[in-house]
Amino acid sequence: MGEAKREQSIRSPVTWTVLGLVIERPSYGWELSKRFERLYGDVLPVGGESNIYRALEALHGKSLIEELEEPRTVAGTSRQPKQHYRATTEGLERYAEWVMAGEREHRRRSLLFARQLGALAQEPETALAILGRYEQAWLDDKGARIPTASGFATRPVPGLADRLASAYGRDVKAATLGWIEYARREFAALTSRDPRRL
Amino acid sequence: MSLLELRHVRKHRARGSHRVEVLRDVSLEVAAGELVAVWGLRRSGRSTLLAVAAGIELPDSGMVLFEGEDLGARGARMLGEGVGYCAQVVAVASRRRVIDNVRAGLLGRGVPAPVAYASAHEVLGRVGVERVNGLLMGDLDAAEAVRVAIACALVLGPRVLVIDEPTKGVDLLERDKIVLLLRSLADEGIAVLVSDGDGSGLSDADRALTLADGELRGRNSPQMGTVLPLRSAGSSSGL
Repeated sequence: MGEAKREQSIRSPVTWTVLGLVIERPSYGWELSKRFERLYGDVLPVGGESNIYRALEALHGKSLIEELEEPRTVAGTSRQPKQHYRATTEGLERYAEWVMAGEREHRRRSLLFARQLGALAQEPETALAILGRYEQAWLDDKGARIPTASGFATRPVPGLADRLASAYGRDVKAATLGWIEYARREFAALTSRDPRRL
Repeated sequence: MSLLELRHVRKHRARGSHRVEVLRDVSLEVAAGELVAVWGLRRSGRSTLLAVAAGIELPDSGMVLFEGEDLGARGARMLGEGVGYCAQVVAVASRRRVIDNVRAGLLGRGVPAPVAYASAHEVLGRVGVERVNGLLMGDLDAAEAVRVAIACALVLGPRVLVIDEPTKGVDLLERDKIVLLLRSLADEGIAVLVSDGDGSGLSDADRALTLADGELRGRNSPQMGTVLPLRSAGSSSGL
């Protein structure tokens, strides 16, 4: 592995997400693909188990994960021992940086949307229509459902990721609906049909 | 047919010297087994909407129907017999025992005391607070108080449950459990209409709607498509 290859940045969110799963618990390809599907299947298509192995290869190549010394036999299976991976210290640091970068991108996109909507000041009816569709999309979104199954008991803290996602989703939803109402009043005031003017 | 239906409901309130229209031509259907959440900011009219939907308050115009029958015509008789209503839970230093509070509705309907006690005990278990039946109402925490309020409604066997902001003031980690309780009641066939100010119930509801300036937005019937707010209440009502 050359230095140039190590310096190439990892662009695939699947690869970074696999790193997060390895950080959560040292594991191997098949188990990681199942955990990936369970936790991220609805928001991040992995596109086949082979991509998990490619991700592991990329992470290993950049020394973000390392092989455990001895392959482990997986409880409940009669198959041959599996090569397990664990995260390196650098892997943990890089993962934290990536998560924060994603959060910055999320905020950037939200600001972009708000400002681009603001460009419709001369076309408030269009802006109101966009807001209506935006609102309905949030109302229809079921992504923040409360997790009910303890079904992933093998996780270090069962259900934690699902509960965090649910709580985050509903708080963002409530805040977004509040913002939509604010924006709607701004644009309604630009039209002749502001109910408070009537 | 929907169990609960609001047709073109309008409601006004006095605010100082003004008369404000709190509900503007609101139509809404809730079917058996549905959990419907209405989100709104403070003073959006969400509590008024629920009080009208439960038959606690009459609309100024329009109709509220339970199984096709006008709640306004039947009045308070409907409460408890078909429609259960839980107002926002306010902490009170009540010296009344929980079990007595829950069975009071049954006793008022002539149910023998032992039967009422057994029913109240059972329904407290159903809502997950069997352990508090001997406590005083004033000793309950917010989550327990909400569950007991739900029990008070459920003990009368309603087919529709209308509950105003059940997660307000409830500890963050307890909110999900309240929502899951409501979800389970809907799954048992009760039509549940809930108001929401913090987003707690929005994602687990079958339908979520918003209420602002007295105007209800979203999918207002189980079959209906999106109602996009392309016209404000002001213009559509001709005010």
